[in-house]
Amino acid sequence: MTTNSAELNKDTPLIKVENLVKSFGNFNALDNISTQIQKGEVVVIIGPSGSGKSTFLRCLNRLEEPTGGKIYFEGVDITDKHTNINKHRQRMGMVFQHFNLFPHMTIMKNLTIAPIKLQGISQEEAEKKAQSLLDRVGLGDRKNSYPGQLSGGQKQRIAIVRSLCMNPDVMLFDEPTSALDPEMVGEVLEVMRDLAKQQMTMAIVTHEMNFAKEVASRVIFMDDGKIIEENTPAEFFKNPKSDRAKLFLSKII
Amino acid sequence: MNIAKKILITVLAAFTLLSVASCSSSEDANTLVMATNAYFPPYEYYENDKVVGIDPDIMEAICADLGMTLKIEDMEFDSIITAVQSGKADIGVAGMTVTEDRLLSVSFTDPYTTAKQVIIVTEDSPIATPDDLAGKTIGVQTGTTGDIVITGDYEDEGLATVERYNKGNEAVLALTQGKIDAVVIDNEPAKVFVETNEGLKILETEYITEEYAIAVNKENTELLEKLNASLAKLKESGKLDEIIGNYIKAE
Amino acid sequence: MTNLLLSASFAERFTLNFIKEDRWKYIVDGLGVTLTITIFAVIIGIVLGMLVAIVRSTYEKTGKLWLFDKICRVYLTVIRGTPVVVQLLIIYFIIFGSVKIDKIVVAIIAFGINSGAYVAEIFRAGIMSIDNGQFEAGRSLGFNYAQTMFYIVMPQAFKNVLPALGNELIVLLKETSVSGYIALQDLTKGGDIIRSRTFDAFFPLIAVALIYLTIVMILTKLVELLERRLRNSDH
Repeated sequence: MTTNSAELNKDTPLIKVENLVKSFGNFNALDNISTQIQKGEVVVIIGPSGSGKSTFLRCLNRLEEPTGGKIYFEGVDITDKHTNINKHRQRMGMVFQHFNLFPHMTIMKNLTIAPIKLQGISQEEAEKKAQSLLDRVGLGDRKNSYPGQLSGGQKQRIAIVRSLCMNPDVMLFDEPTSALDPEMVGEVLEVMRDLAKQQMTMAIVTHEMNFAKEVASRVIFMDDGKIIEENTPAEFFKNPKSDRAKLFLSKII
Repeated sequence: MNIAKKILITVLAAFTLLSVASCSSSEDANTLVMATNAYFPPYEYYENDKVVGIDPDIMEAICADLGMTLKIEDMEFDSIITAVQSGKADIGVAGMTVTEDRLLSVSFTDPYTTAKQVIIVTEDSPIATPDDLAGKTIGVQTGTTGDIVITGDYEDEGLATVERYNKGNEAVLALTQGKIDAVVIDNEPAKVFVETNEGLKILETEYITEEYAIAVNKENTELLEKLNASLAKLKESGKLDEIIGNYIKAE
Repeated sequence: MTNLLLSASFAERFTLNFIKEDRWKYIVDGLGVTLTITIFAVIIGIVLGMLVAIVRSTYEKTGKLWLFDKICRVYLTVIRGTPVVVQLLIIYFIIFGSVKIDKIVVAIIAFGINSGAYVAEIFRAGIMSIDNGQFEAGRSLGFNYAQTMFYIVMPQAFKNVLPALGNELIVLLKETSVSGYIALQDLTKGGDIIRSRTFDAFFPLIAVALIYLTIVMILTKLVELLERRLRNSDH
């Protein structure tokens, strides 16, 4: 497979969202959202619960099927029914709140099954890559364990590595630390911080405001299925413009 | 080890159950329970939800003579003797032929009629004599005289394949569908089957001749004597021939 | 009444039932037929059941395949709503009405189709019991629907339903005992034939019962072993 990103003009955004709508019956979870994510950006999406931020993230790889609007990934309209979404998902890693590791497979199998089956990489090569990534997150010795034998923090680090093994162009994080015991949040954020340093493009839905301040290149504040405010973290946290953002920040800080 | 122990327990349980079963007797003293297999016209068959035929008529006549009530139980043919033996039925009447093997398990009354086994084939069949059955697939009703004779003469000798159906009509159905080549069965039901199914015929050759009698539990000599006495009366009065004549026209 | 068990002719009766005229062969040959039918029917049942379960759960999850779902529902209703012996007779005398066909094949088809309906519901319950997050994780990596089912959902579902599947196998083995209705000489019919020759209920029935029991106990043990093995591989 050719990397579309290499062919792209430097100015083309990695992800471009145009007038995205998602409704469940009469309820509009996402109401006409447009934004862009550039290569190398770390975009943190925040907002009150029910604001549509998770739905927005899940629409980006069509785990949630958009009701209207367009999403371009590396210049390709992935909302087009004729697009093979499976191909594009291989380049969009996703990390879930509840890890969703495969309990019937060893850690090594969890990490290598997709590269082997989907990218045609040899088992040896896949395992080598998985091992080096495991070492990087400090879990090199757990490759033969099963997910059930790991702590929540360890599971989430493995889940991040599982996505990284596919060499994605973007990583989507859906509240990656919300299901963790407080003492385990740090180890997961550490891995994400590390990824950001390596210029990985990331879209993160989170409640970790300190992490957002420190790592994000841009903050998107959502409420009622709309993007209310978009700004650098420094500016957003110091001078929120909208009343809703002010109210939200006053409640959580 | 464990499995062996479990099996042993099961065997013991089965023994106990069987002992209990064989001690229980059927119904009250005035009801005569008759075990039969009602797929054997004209001896016994269903008509309007009732088992009718030569055997039920004869038994009704005998019961009238003995002042008893007849109760008919329809079951698989190969269960009839067991039912009589275990006391679940008082008598077995199902166009049953007296054989040496059967005499080991039950007593038989005097014969009430004679019958023969015949071969049914399709009209275009190349089979013309019993010898032609070699190499063919022969349908029978499990446990009937036809089954036993064909098994001995053909299957045990490796000459033909035998398919044992639970009911005579199923064997005939299989014959009409071309699943088997011939059916060996009693002459009277054979006539009915050939009449009601187009394209079948009975071979002229008589294969086996036999006598039908009533099976009675070996212990129950009193009933056996009563039945024989009653049968003798029916024979003498011509009632027996009359019943049979109602179903079978003289040839 | 005679107590058959206490009669002195125990050995004689054994000889009459099993030794005379090589009657034991009815049992041994019948066992072969019973096992053949069971093994092949179970394979058909699992394949068919899996397909039906996938169609049904796909419909339940995504609303797709509604036509196939309808067909599957009819299949499940008809098969689970009628006795297997009636299905067997229908397949033999009506569907293969004028065909000369090996009766073992008829029985395998009948019991396979029958078992498929029960296996389908077992698998469907198994699939629905797997957390949707597993499914989403598979899809987010780039696996298509079928691959996600095959690599991720089905192996977990299979493990969850193994006890129920083992039970279905045991039920199937025992249900094949009605094969005699189409003049197939399976284990039960083998016993029946001996019974019709010797008019002895005890030996043929108990022998047949013990053989079924032994097979069922072996199967139970095997399922237990398999279950333990699969369980060791997680948590």
